[in-house]
Amino acid sequence: MSAAPAVVAAGLSKSYRKWGRTRAFGTLKSALLGRGLSAALSPSESVAALSNVSFTVARGETFGVVGPNGCGKSTLLKLVAGLFKPTAGTLAVTGKVSALIELGAGFHPEISGRENVVINGVMLGLSRREIERKLPEIVAYSGLEDFIEEPVKTYSSGMYVRLGFAVAVHVDPDVLVVDEVLAVGDESFAHRCLDTIADFSRRGKTIFFVSHSLSLVEELCDRVLYLEHGRVEALGDPRETLARYRMDVADEEGARLARAQGENQAALRAAGGDALRAGQPAEHRDSALFSEGEKGGETAGAAPAAGAPQPHSPFEEKPPERLESVRQATTPSGPAPPEQKESLPPAEEPRRWGSRAVEITGCRMLDAAGAERYAFRSGESVTIEIAVAPRAPITDFVFGVGVFTPEDVCVHGTNTEIDGFLPERLGGPAVARVTLPSLDLGTGTYLVDVAVHSRREAPYDYWRGACRFQVDAPDRSAGVYRPARRWSFDGPLSLAKRSR
Amino acid sequence: MLNNLAGLWRHRALGFVLVSRELKARYRGSVLGFFWSLLNPLLMLAVYTIVFAFIFPGRSPSTSPYALFLFTGLLPWNWLAGGLTDAASSLTTHGALLRKILFPAEVLPLVAVAAQAVHFVLALPVLAAGLALGAAGALGPPVPLGWPLVQAVPLFLLEGVFVAGLGLFLAALTVHFRDVKDILATGLTLWFFATPILYALPDIRAARLRAALLWNPATPFFEAWRDAFFRGAWVAPERWGVLVLVSLAAFLLGYALFDRLRDSFPEAV
Repeated sequence: MSAAPAVVAAGLSKSYRKWGRTRAFGTLKSALLGRGLSAALSPSESVAALSNVSFTVARGETFGVVGPNGCGKSTLLKLVAGLFKPTAGTLAVTGKVSALIELGAGFHPEISGRENVVINGVMLGLSRREIERKLPEIVAYSGLEDFIEEPVKTYSSGMYVRLGFAVAVHVDPDVLVVDEVLAVGDESFAHRCLDTIADFSRRGKTIFFVSHSLSLVEELCDRVLYLEHGRVEALGDPRETLARYRMDVADEEGARLARAQGENQAALRAAGGDALRAGQPAEHRDSALFSEGEKGGETAGAAPAAGAPQPHSPFEEKPPERLESVRQATTPSGPAPPEQKESLPPAEEPRRWGSRAVEITGCRMLDAAGAERYAFRSGESVTIEIAVAPRAPITDFVFGVGVFTPEDVCVHGTNTEIDGFLPERLGGPAVARVTLPSLDLGTGTYLVDVAVHSRREAPYDYWRGACRFQVDAPDRSAGVYRPARRWSFDGPLSLAKRSR
Repeated sequence: MLNNLAGLWRHRALGFVLVSRELKARYRGSVLGFFWSLLNPLLMLAVYTIVFAFIFPGRSPSTSPYALFLFTGLLPWNWLAGGLTDAASSLTTHGALLRKILFPAEVLPLVAVAAQAVHFVLALPVLAAGLALGAAGALGPPVPLGWPLVQAVPLFLLEGVFVAGLGLFLAALTVHFRDVKDILATGLTLWFFATPILYALPDIRAARLRAALLWNPATPFFEAWRDAFFRGAWVAPERWGVLVLVSLAAFLLGYALFDRLRDSFPEAV
């Protein structure tokens, strides 16, 4: 019994008809006058949503589907649910399918929750008697005992979804198709959904799971299918498949960032600031401190601590001497010359400031091969390149770089002074590079500040968020720092190394 | 097609709950509730009676008492017109369902027709009361009543098949051509006057016009309803033949088109 697979797809393709003129106008008149009716009803062009997708889902397996928007996930689900017919290939589904594609689809707003449950249950394939028998259970599961006699139009969207979910799981399907339903509903309901799904899995039911929550997919699924442009990009072990997907997303992100980087540098200065602020979560404390930090830089002689606003970081509460000096070296929070004020636009948050005795003309990030990139795998070698041009030859100069999280936590900051270089002469346009042989950062987006300043930390050109890059870690370890690590154990305990 | 119809039979419970939902939802929140099913035809009846009995009087004896005559035509017409209107938009208004839940799509237009049939049945007590008055001679010349009334049962079934067939046809077309609904609204008005509802077919003097109206597929239904309810006559056997043919032809045609376009519904609605 368990040998028979629940879902077998072979060479599955689905194209949507792109209706030509008739679709655009959709009028009978145009069909009758223009071409014949049959011509109007035949597609003029088709768009492939899925092409040649093959997979087998064993009974009792939890099968995940991931991919970017428009990759064909929903089409695949609708095919599995039997709503759409494949254009080519075959799809065999064994057993009753219940699709949680849209919870509460078909609820009529005017009639009561109870009546809607009955109708929905019958629609999902239960007999009237079965649904009447399960009704108390469904109502209890949804937790809507007090509202079940009210018309559904009075329900909140969360109540609506809870009732829909309750009906769908009580249909007792052999194959449960779950499409991003956990995104709605509150925390406790999401937990109940997950419990129910886990319970289904224990009872040997097949689950077809689609979600953009990759950690959830990784947690729940036995195997994962990664779709891209309607094709199978990867299929198999969740960790491997999801790592591949994450890398692809990061590459795409990197390409986008690189394009942005290539655009007009001046435009970037403004855009970078906006993107940074838009990308930040609404943490008012941080953003307030963030601008306070800026003001600290603006006001000559502000306390250095005001520029280092990370109250949640244990290092910042009692900053060790070295970190503090790094911070000072890379941000203008230390004593700044008064002429700095003039270079700042008054109403705007400064993204770049300094006397411009030396100007930064460009900043790029390079990988080990020397190619410009803005998406890296954790542990890769990364080079930050700063191109500068002095107004006149100069002998007092320090190059600095800092890596920050979008929340403005300094991940690392250093400069040529700290690293033991004494400036001798900068005579014309030049390039400084600093290589981090192993970028031991956790998954996330980071920002790079680059600066040229005097040895007494008077900024010539400080550019905040000059680059933005993405790091992808192959595991789910937490935090911005992701060092190599080794475990060892002593005593009466034993652990087995997981094969994957 | 037989397979599909068998599948439909398996989904009869769905049809049943959907019809009851349709009816419940329609009158939910209204004070009079199901009485609207009676009131609507009564109000229409009042208007037509006033217009044709007092404003344009002088009807022929074959149509009097005129109120009763009109009512026996209006009731089945309301079913036909309401059923077609609701059926035509049934797939497009329930598009979300078609995309999300797997069930035979023909349930939707059939439910629309069936819900209108329920309204028709609910209005029958009014008709019965009218007929009782008419038979007693309270409304004018006494109406002959008797066994021919039983013909209402097969007539009801045949009209159901006829309207269902046209409803399927229109529903399938509406998915692809949204202007079917507008065409239908105008078409029904024309059809109403081309069908012997306000008048009796034998009263038309111009023989060619009368012959032309006989080509109207709805004409035999209304003549038959009048035979059963108003004239107390037995419907001629050849008319029964025509009725069966017309209903089956309409159903087969509608179902064939519906079946052909079926797979396009979830994507096109």
